[in-house]
Amino acid sequence: MTAQWTPMRWPDLWTDPSSLDLLQGTAIDYLLIGKGEALGPVRTRAQQAGLHVADAAPAGVATVKGEWPGVKMARGRVGQAIGFGGLPSVTSASANGSSVAAQAMGGPTGVPWVDSNGWLIRLESALHPENSIWVDAPPSDARIAAGSYLVAIADSASHGGRWILSLDTQLAADLHAKTPQALETWKKVTAAAGFFAAHKSWTAYAPVGVVGVVSGFSGKNEFFSRELLNLLDRAGQHYRILLREAAAIREAAAINDASLTSLRALIYPDIEPPAPGLRKQILAFVQAGGILIAGPKWGELPGTPAKSDEHPRFSWRTLGKGRVAVAHEDPGDPYLWANDSVVLVSHRYDLVRFWNGGATGSFYTMSPGQKQAVVHLLFYANRGPDSASVRIAGQIGRAWTVDGPVKVVGQALSPANFPKEAVEVHLPQVSQYVALELEA
Amino acid sequence: MHSHQTRRQFLFTATAGLAASTLTRAAAPASPVAVARCKTYTPAELLPAMQKMFDRLGGLERLVKGKTVACKINLTGAPTYRLGYLPLEDTHYTHPQVIAAAAHLMSQAGARRIRILESPWSTADPVEEYILRANWEPQDILGAAPNVEFENTNYLGRSKKYSRLTVPFGGYVFPAFDLNRSYEDCDVFVSIAKMKEHATAGVTLSMKNCFGMTPCTIYGTGAGVDEPSDVPKGGRTLVHSGNRQPSKSAPRELDPTTPRVDTWRVPRTVVDLIAARPIHLAIVEGIKTMTGGEGPWIREELKGVAPGVIVAGLNPVNTDAVCMSLMGFDPLADRGTPPFERCDSTLKLAEEAGLGTRDLERIEVIGTPIAEARFDFAGMRQRRRSVPPPPMGVRG
Repeated sequence: MTAQWTPMRWPDLWTDPSSLDLLQGTAIDYLLIGKGEALGPVRTRAQQAGLHVADAAPAGVATVKGEWPGVKMARGRVGQAIGFGGLPSVTSASANGSSVAAQAMGGPTGVPWVDSNGWLIRLESALHPENSIWVDAPPSDARIAAGSYLVAIADSASHGGRWILSLDTQLAADLHAKTPQALETWKKVTAAAGFFAAHKSWTAYAPVGVVGVVSGFSGKNEFFSRELLNLLDRAGQHYRILLREAAAIREAAAINDASLTSLRALIYPDIEPPAPGLRKQILAFVQAGGILIAGPKWGELPGTPAKSDEHPRFSWRTLGKGRVAVAHEDPGDPYLWANDSVVLVSHRYDLVRFWNGGATGSFYTMSPGQKQAVVHLLFYANRGPDSASVRIAGQIGRAWTVDGPVKVVGQALSPANFPKEAVEVHLPQVSQYVALELEA
Repeated sequence: MHSHQTRRQFLFTATAGLAASTLTRAAAPASPVAVARCKTYTPAELLPAMQKMFDRLGGLERLVKGKTVACKINLTGAPTYRLGYLPLEDTHYTHPQVIAAAAHLMSQAGARRIRILESPWSTADPVEEYILRANWEPQDILGAAPNVEFENTNYLGRSKKYSRLTVPFGGYVFPAFDLNRSYEDCDVFVSIAKMKEHATAGVTLSMKNCFGMTPCTIYGTGAGVDEPSDVPKGGRTLVHSGNRQPSKSAPRELDPTTPRVDTWRVPRTVVDLIAARPIHLAIVEGIKTMTGGEGPWIREELKGVAPGVIVAGLNPVNTDAVCMSLMGFDPLADRGTPPFERCDSTLKLAEEAGLGTRDLERIEVIGTPIAEARFDFAGMRQRRRSVPPPPMGVRG
């Protein structure tokens, strides 16, 4: 996957070609402009300025319909007051650490619900590795905070895609009127887009995962498997997508010995049992010490029932050096599967742990030559966290936010309670996005 | 109905109440409490300090030899929530080294089985998984002695049914509780708490630590209406505010017309709980802790501090009384006096229920004298409260 362009959907309101001046010095280089005659002069001048102009994405780009990312609020609003310390009073404070204002829509455990397009970009990329991915998720509200735009840009770009920059009607009008506040927001938005345009190489980095999700992601498995990816992100589980019936062209997501070696577990959520070849491959992975998490339709399993078997929804079997967790029932609730899988595999193998992060997301990637890793940290509230810490498997090199380098305090941790080298990083007051470059 | 009391009648009633209170205090059990200075959590310093305390209390062997010991620890709040950048164990969680040291010494004293109990926030996950998220290594505790195990008591857990534990004196709020069986299936019950202030109860010590015994499947926000829910969801708003009753399968409140106010309900419920599940050994660690509240979510000026003290006693009321004094508070303080400005005193209620005295005159303090180990939570509280609270969003 590559990210050649930084796309923007041109507001219909901006019929005056002088509005193109706003793009000077920004990374925006692909304009999706409506077909109306009123926009003709804009199209002409944009082309003269060397910008790519069209009414649809170019060949080689797949556009997916996404959600407006961020903390999901009741009444469809994205929160203004989410974040640590954003507590209205002692009595409404929450010990769960979500520090969420009263109107935030809770997830099943009371943690704020987060919408993200990361999983969708990754799946589309696995299914169509030849394509770049653009996310079409226009603002859901008439007025969006600058921080929320940053989340929209970073959520897509950190996962290798590009959000089609789309302005809310109020910001478009205010920019048209060149109000100082709107120009300030625009500066932040274009700085964020520019940051990712300057780091295009990161989009070629491969995901690092603890688990592999093996599915066809289609047919009667479509909802469960796709929602599982979404919720694994929310559960903080780092995964790789492995296509059940991958053709050679999809080698990035194909299942082979190399693709399985770095994983601790495979999740097989599909209703149908695997084909004999795949079954053999997966059982060999388990024999060698891996974990398989599967539904009851997997079929007969070799191995023996585990001596200690206390999970309410899964039965353990041992097989060679590995173990198999078989669900008692057919996959029903992807939320339960996502969260159960984290515990079945164990938090011991977490690649990233947050403290005081609020509604967080992370994506751990490795350069093609495996010389460098980049961990993308996302804070989905409308402002960055206060006094957040993050523990990363690896050795810290540099840290970035969209405004530039971030000075962080890294503290090497004893490997005693982690299988690999790990570092705990104390983040200063940051925006909603931080990239940590790790040394090889 | 109006009550027209004359001043003479009022004085008589007040004097009688005072006399009754003094009598209760005189009758409430008293036993020695050991205090030790301990500046770090390194086993080289911590183990001998704890060993010495237990020896001074008559020795652990007398208490635990051949017995199943259940230790309730304090892991309040989510493991992803820190005070600034400080590790959770340095501020509001019972430190793992204290838990490990207690388990190790109990094992050496002949304990047959040592069970570490806690009801982690809003989850039925194993405690081992929960503490990994706090950056702890479960093996540090499990490996402290043979036969150490964890149990998540926030739901039914490994048992087939909940245990019903009755409050012998009848109870202030609840006549009995349905709890995870681990609280009944033990010979010795130990509360290993952190020395902290508490927004609702003034202080949280060995008694308040036991508030977390209640499973949220029955007493939590997401508790089932008729039967316990399968998994816990949310906190214990039900007990705090009394906005609803526990699952119908569990004993109801004695009087649903009593105040629906957490500062009234929580101290009383705590006393009910420790009467139903008596504490044989109370350990309160204040080696490192925090001031201003029980966790980083409290809107006060919160600080990580290092009082360097650890306390143990065979009676939780006595132990908590000594702890309060170590914190610079008067254990005889009543509602309206720090740290009980807004709430009732759990210690007073426990004393009135006959569980133990809070009168330092009657409690033998062994080891380091209180005056030498005192850390002035009270003074910090007074200074903190003389200025407006910090603006929202500033912490650490």
